[in-house]
Amino acid sequence: MSFDLANNVALQQVLATMEVERKRIAGTQTKGYIFIAAGILLCVLGFFLGFPIPGLISGLIPLIYGGVLLFKINDALTAYQNAYKTNVIGAALKFLDESLSINPYQGIEASEFMYTQLFSTEPDRYKTEDLVTGCADKTLFYFAEVHAEYKTVTQTKNGTRTEWHDIFRGIIFTADFNKKFNGVTIVRPKDFGAAFGAWFSKNLFSFGNNDVVQLENLDFDKTFVTYGSDQVESRYILTPAMMERILNLNHQTKYNISLSFIESRMYIAFPLNRNYFEAPVFKSLLSPDTVNEDISTIKFMYDIVKELDLNTRIWGKE
Amino acid sequence: MIIALVIIGFIFLIGIFFYNSLIGKKNQVTNAFSAIDVMLKKRFDLIPNLVEVVKQYTTYEQGTLTKIVELRSKAGSPNISNAEKAELDAQLSSSVKGLMVNIENYPDLKANTNFINLQTTWTESEEQIAAARRTYNASVTDYNNAIMMFPGSLFAGMLNFQPIAVLETAAEERKNISAKELFNN
Repeated sequence: MSFDLANNVALQQVLATMEVERKRIAGTQTKGYIFIAAGILLCVLGFFLGFPIPGLISGLIPLIYGGVLLFKINDALTAYQNAYKTNVIGAALKFLDESLSINPYQGIEASEFMYTQLFSTEPDRYKTEDLVTGCADKTLFYFAEVHAEYKTVTQTKNGTRTEWHDIFRGIIFTADFNKKFNGVTIVRPKDFGAAFGAWFSKNLFSFGNNDVVQLENLDFDKTFVTYGSDQVESRYILTPAMMERILNLNHQTKYNISLSFIESRMYIAFPLNRNYFEAPVFKSLLSPDTVNEDISTIKFMYDIVKELDLNTRIWGKE
Repeated sequence: MIIALVIIGFIFLIGIFFYNSLIGKKNQVTNAFSAIDVMLKKRFDLIPNLVEVVKQYTTYEQGTLTKIVELRSKAGSPNISNAEKAELDAQLSSSVKGLMVNIENYPDLKANTNFINLQTTWTESEEQIAAARRTYNASVTDYNNAIMMFPGSLFAGMLNFQPIAVLETAAEERKNISAKELFNN
């Protein structure tokens, strides 16, 4: 961490106020769950002891009461979660850089998600939230959480069964690139399918407009498959130094990232397995690692601009 | 009989496929070289402007300027081999680099908008040429692999295809261009 949240008085005050609300919500939720559990227990006991009807009636009362409690606290929970994003994450962002801001209700549109050309499957269900925008020196950037899924419908004995599969879950980051270019360059992680596809299109037959770009950095070529509409332009973007920087960035993440460069913009997809910027309910807000984990994510995104040296604008693009 | 014909036909098709892919790779090399050529021309065209701007501010760099102009006109002459052109470009590149370093002594020139534009375009062309050279080398490697490996080597022997040497990159080109070094602020 580059800055200490524990010493930020304003943020600590906000956290302290919200902690009261969190405790209230957590208390009510716990109470609700206890009543529901007790209700179920009474029903089961009544059934086993040979009094099913009185058991059911006496169990139903706490069950309904517990349900009502949970239902009533739900609005407060949503308000609390949004307040966390706006007040806590928002304040921490400003602390990091004045230009940063978060909008919990906005994200990256499905059309832009497809425009990145990082994913070939059109999503059937698409969720996006927590748009963070900012400007690191000369470079404008934004990122948001995205969850895109497609569905498969299979015929079973009892009718049809719909299953949902992830296309992508994580953060999509986009920034203005420091060089001008007109074509498309796509860098995808090299799994077995991608490696075979690349071999096929290089040696036998190439589909679409983008050809495989064989790059001389062996590590890079082992980790990623690169496609480009113009071989020279792809290498103009992926200079030896840029390849090293991308590899460095990739080493810092758990899952392999994908990148695309389209019309002077760059897109990076970071797959993640948890929902970011969500306020905890059963964990104290005042424990430092709660907020720190979210802040580190933002800091990581913010540092990409520096990491990839996007502020060096000596190629005639301001 | 039919089986034999099918086998012969199959071998024939594979032969066509390999032959075509070999020709494709050879053409790719030519194509990649012409990309370098285009980029080099773009860079050579910057020279007259650069010389003009620098001339206005300094009388001390005449020697370097004359050398740069000479190299440029040599590179522009029509009957010049690819290797010579690459060599001239390397010389030109290092002369201009030297000039850029000397220009640090002329604050007025350094602040001139035309000069700053030229400097930016020059760095841009550097990186574009580097990219074009890397593309060329990748196509050459691809072509060399194809003519040396079986069964491409059979055709290469018949067609008298020779391996092509890759372009050696100057040590300083392998380094990324750093803004700090260039502008030395």
